[in-house]
Amino acid sequence: MPELEIRLFASLRELAGAETIRVSLDRDATAADLLAKAGLLYPDLASALRSVVVAVDRRIVAPSDPVPPLSEVAFLPPVSGG
Amino acid sequence: MYQDRTLRFSRQTILPQVGPEGQERLAGSRAVIVGLGSLGSLSAQLLARAGLRDLVLVDRDIVEIHNLPRQILYTEADADQGRPKALAARERLAHIDSELALTAHVTDLDADNIEQLLAGADVVVDATDNFETRYLINDWALLTEVPWVYGGVIGTEGLCLLVVPRRTPCLRCLFPQPPASTDLPSCETAGVWTPTASVVASLQVAAALRTLMGVEPTRTLAVVNGWTGEVRQMETPAPSDDCPACGRGEYAWLRVEREARVRPGCQHQTLRVRPAGVPTGDGLDLAGLARRLEPLVEVRAVNVYLLKFEADGCELTLFRDGRALVRGTEDLARARGLYDRYVGS
Repeated sequence: MPELEIRLFASLRELAGAETIRVSLDRDATAADLLAKAGLLYPDLASALRSVVVAVDRRIVAPSDPVPPLSEVAFLPPVSGG
Repeated sequence: MYQDRTLRFSRQTILPQVGPEGQERLAGSRAVIVGLGSLGSLSAQLLARAGLRDLVLVDRDIVEIHNLPRQILYTEADADQGRPKALAARERLAHIDSELALTAHVTDLDADNIEQLLAGADVVVDATDNFETRYLINDWALLTEVPWVYGGVIGTEGLCLLVVPRRTPCLRCLFPQPPASTDLPSCETAGVWTPTASVVASLQVAAALRTLMGVEPTRTLAVVNGWTGEVRQMETPAPSDDCPACGRGEYAWLRVEREARVRPGCQHQTLRVRPAGVPTGDGLDLAGLARRLEPLVEVRAVNVYLLKFEADGCELTLFRDGRALVRGTEDLARARGLYDRYVGS
């Protein structure tokens, strides 16, 4: 099962205490699958992962879009301060 | 000499991307800036210098000493006097361009007043600190087809997104539901790196000016790290048919419960309270109320626009139309009780 390295931004990085997390995924996994699996593996992130966008190779994707193996993946939380 | 507009903007109009035509478009445009904290004070200054026809400034808060490292329009004197940010900003900006029309509103943007405060806007620059107001602006912008620019900053990172209704994805296309306030760090807890705010505000203003000049929008979300200097442009999808706002036209934030006297505010542990009766047209006598309250509470600021005081472990900000923000509790009954005790029901 391929393992993806996911870059975390802003509050997610603070919550995880790490710049990246690693999640293994099936080959036909979608962005929603990725978020669900990441939430199980990293419970501290689970709540915040409900409102993040997923970028795959610097493109924002829909939850139903596939995440190919070897892609560059980032989780972007909303940023509230002004 | 300063009234020579051609000379004044010559270094801008000489840019092939702008030209005299672009400058002329700016000279006929109105921008509204909602929020005058770090992003808003930076955006306001850049927009004031760009040669727009008029700027409308909206902010509910007063200047405090911890604002000064990043909120570039304000001074120690503003903080000492607890001046409303909108008024201090208007005064500073008036010195930059005497021909720029400036309007300041010391109030909290909400579903009741958004139509009035954003009327006539050619672009809206979001510099708020909460998602409730951003979703409200998003709904209003989609309904009226006015472009707006989301900006957010926390710690050393920030985001910028230009929303041109039905041509680029809206805020709810990307974030369909507002995040729980407990999942969002605030500037108070996580801090703000001023250069990040500066980059985000600059990107917002660039997007706003390009839009006013009629430039085709790009579909990107800018992800900024002002510490490392990295700016990533993430390509965004087309507006989604599934989006509750721009796809299905459900403008939930414009139709919030108007009858409720107390409802959740825009920040963690902040509630909004409205007066029980009809708001008085002349406005409350805030100075008189402050004098009466002084023996009972700690008055932090008072002027013709707002009264801010601490009572029973909460901070109340009362506006002259009778609406108030109660900070420090999530208990609706307690907020209503504090309001009724100190302001009157």
